[in-house]
Amino acid sequence: MTTLTDRYVWAVLRALPSRQRDELEPEIRALVADAADAHADSATPDAAERTALVELGDPDALAARYTDATRFLIGPRLYPEWERLLKLLIPIVAPIAGIAFAAVGWATGKPVGEAIVSGLSIAFNVVVQMAFWFTLVFAIAERTGASYIPATGRPWTPDELPELPAPDRLSLGEAIASVAFGAFVLAAIVWVQVAKPIVIDGTAFALFDPAASVWLWYLVGLTLAEILFALALYRRGRWTWAYAVANAVLAAALAIPVVWLIREDLLLNPALVDAIDAKTGGGWLEPTMAITAFVFAFIAVIDSVDGFGKAWRTSRQVARPAG
Amino acid sequence: MTFDEILSGGQQELRRGTVVLACLLLLRTPGYGYALLDQLRDLGFSVDANTLYPLLRRLEGQGLLVSEWNTQEARPRKFYRVSPDGERHAAALFEDWTRVDASLRRLAQGDDA
Repeated sequence: MTTLTDRYVWAVLRALPSRQRDELEPEIRALVADAADAHADSATPDAAERTALVELGDPDALAARYTDATRFLIGPRLYPEWERLLKLLIPIVAPIAGIAFAAVGWATGKPVGEAIVSGLSIAFNVVVQMAFWFTLVFAIAERTGASYIPATGRPWTPDELPELPAPDRLSLGEAIASVAFGAFVLAAIVWVQVAKPIVIDGTAFALFDPAASVWLWYLVGLTLAEILFALALYRRGRWTWAYAVANAVLAAALAIPVVWLIREDLLLNPALVDAIDAKTGGGWLEPTMAITAFVFAFIAVIDSVDGFGKAWRTSRQVARPAG
Repeated sequence: MTFDEILSGGQQELRRGTVVLACLLLLRTPGYGYALLDQLRDLGFSVDANTLYPLLRRLEGQGLLVSEWNTQEARPRKFYRVSPDGERHAAALFEDWTRVDASLRRLAQGDDA
């Protein structure tokens, strides 16, 4: 049985940056309890608790005052998730992209210094791009989250408090991250194919084999399907066996064709392969593609197992009444 | 907007800064959130709980108040008390307030000219 106070405290804390939460939780609980005590003489404990919460008012407004934040691009409800995701993703993605690009540049015969500079510039671009797209998606979510905007003129009552989340309830941030990541992958596929960012000896190359364009459309479609899956999963709120199966099917639908394309040498642009061969004397293609295929297969397996693991944990929680 | 609504808006604006001063003066004796709210209301400051509590934290962040958890009683409570900086701040604000008060009195009596 969760009390109204628990729900109230959660509703305030979810809108605060994580570093403030631990500090404020006991404080807010003490404030509610003191106010409830003051009304305890003239009312039942439940009614006293309600009166105390009404005095404190709308939890979103209280949280906004604690954070001292005016709502700008991203409001207090989403800001902590936005901050967390950028802090989590940028230090991982930017160095990987930068190092990978520098390594390819060096392997294709660029001087070391030039390769490092090109890697740094790509890493910088990735930071800017990710920050921009994530912020854009969050700003849209901020403005379309209609349920958040309090109905004007109507006083807030504790009945509007959200339920406490189930322990495995998917966060909005997770769903937004999946969507933003899908959009990022889509943009990346189009970019390496259309903008031809790989330049060797003055010739620009597309990364993928133009003859395999059917498969590129397939990858684009699959990425869209992953985005829809993430949205549907968020609506559902938690992992179920059906979603775990769908997740595994999507993972297989990506990994199997990619591994097959790599095996049949159909994925990379042959002109690009020849150009790199000419630079390096060959021998790079097989190990590189073997590693790539392995990574795709490995991620697919991990992702599928993870989905089933989450579905299993959720099914156990549902079996027991929520605490 | 009715006359009363406009009046209450004006009063709110007028009193906004005085709550800070009242808190700093009251907290020369350590006190906790709800008790302070009660004291302020008894003194005629109409302040909302969801304004006062964040305000206390802000004043603490600015170094004008210091706080301490008191675990002696049945329920742990966060007690606030004014810091030396806060005392100086309050003295300066109070001086300002008396100056404003004097000016307004002169204006209201019309013998300013």
